Amino acid sequence: MKQTLIRTDVTVIGEVQALDTAELARACGAQVECVEQLVACGVIGTDDSKSTEPCFYSVDLSRALDARRLERDFGVGLEAAALILDLSQEVRRFKKLLHNLGHDLQRDK
Amino acid sequence: MDFKNYYKILGVEPSTSEDEIRRAYRKLARKYHPDVSKEEDAEIKMRDLNEAYDVLRDKEKRAAYDQLATGVSGDGSFQPPPGWDSGFEFRHDSANADEAQFSEFFSSLFGGQARRRHTHDPYRARGEDHHAIIEVDLEDAIHGASRDISLRGMQLDAQGKPALHSRTLSVRIPAGVKEGQYIRLNGQGMPGYGGAESGDLYLEVRFKPHPRYRVEGRDLYLNLPVTPWEAALGASIHVPTFAGSLEVSIPVGSQNGCKLRLKGKGIPGNPAGDLYLVLDLRLPIANTEAAKQAYRKLAQDLPFNPRDWS
Repeated sequence: MKQTLIRTDVTVIGEVQALDTAELARACGAQVECVEQLVACGVIGTDDSKSTEPCFYSVDLSRALDARRLERDFGVGLEAAALILDLSQEVRRFKKLLHNLGHDLQRDK
Repeated sequence: MDFKNYYKILGVEPSTSEDEIRRAYRKLARKYHPDVSKEEDAEIKMRDLNEAYDVLRDKEKRAAYDQLATGVSGDGSFQPPPGWDSGFEFRHDSANADEAQFSEFFSSLFGGQARRRHTHDPYRARGEDHHAIIEVDLEDAIHGASRDISLRGMQLDAQGKPALHSRTLSVRIPAGVKEGQYIRLNGQGMPGYGGAESGDLYLEVRFKPHPRYRVEGRDLYLNLPVTPWEAALGASIHVPTFAGSLEVSIPVGSQNGCKLRLKGKGIPGNPAGDLYLVLDLRLPIANTEAAKQAYRKLAQDLPFNPRDWS
């Protein structure tokens, strides 16, 4: 197998470097219209307070990818995907909280 | 490389209809989704399910896979024969964030199809963005670090034949990166078509569990064991932190579970996170007569009822 070593610079998608609508669409393998639908359905939010252009962060990219997967694999609508993602986020938060309190869910099954 | 039986992974027969495959995937996805599953290897099982479903839900990929599978004996190492996919047109799904985590088997068959399909197309198009996960130590997120990650996929060699290609990216992890953030590597996604620029590679940052600290956003939490007299009378103690050993004052009358905030001593950023010391009162064990006597004297000298429910 051929191998190559590549050194590369990186950008952290965060408070300083956000994604615009076209970049988020490309990162999701989607059209710009799809991102607009994700915003309209509340899957992802835009931060319009600082700029006239919509800005998207890492959490938006993660939610957009998950929503598209739910839509594709489970045939759910985007509003339902938004709800599933919110509930999933809560589950993760509570699991982390329980873990921090010393509960091991594996032991309780 | 072993041949992967995608039908077996989904628990269906090769003759199973598209609808039944979808139902089987959805049922197993509910069982193994890491957010709800109690299985220890749920994440690996879910990845296998996604990989199998990615192939079997796509008519073209499934047909090519079925054709390939007819010549497989099931034992020994597997290599796809030259031209195994001729006559098939695959759709490469760039929205599939898990694809970079899929098996070598998947990469060797379907990992580079978009590039191969369009190699002789006349139009120009930017390459698709790709996704992968990078797991880093908490220390790397605080101080910054350089890490190598290996990615594999099919590319055309000098003779125009597809060959498995592995590349190692030396990635600089910037100080202050948070769990769940994406790091973008410009031009490290799928190659462009017709001379157009390559796509980007997005790495999702995950932290390895730390034996001492837990992380919430940029804030760090550390359980700090203290004696009852340090908590009651106040004390000045040394605490090892990522910024070195710090002298911390325990306030007089502190209780178990109290949090002391060390501003800006968490993960760096704008603003930097804080370090919370959670007081963890530890009682000396009364396993000697002297210790028991000391407790008896304390009980006598310091009447105290912690269960005052009146």
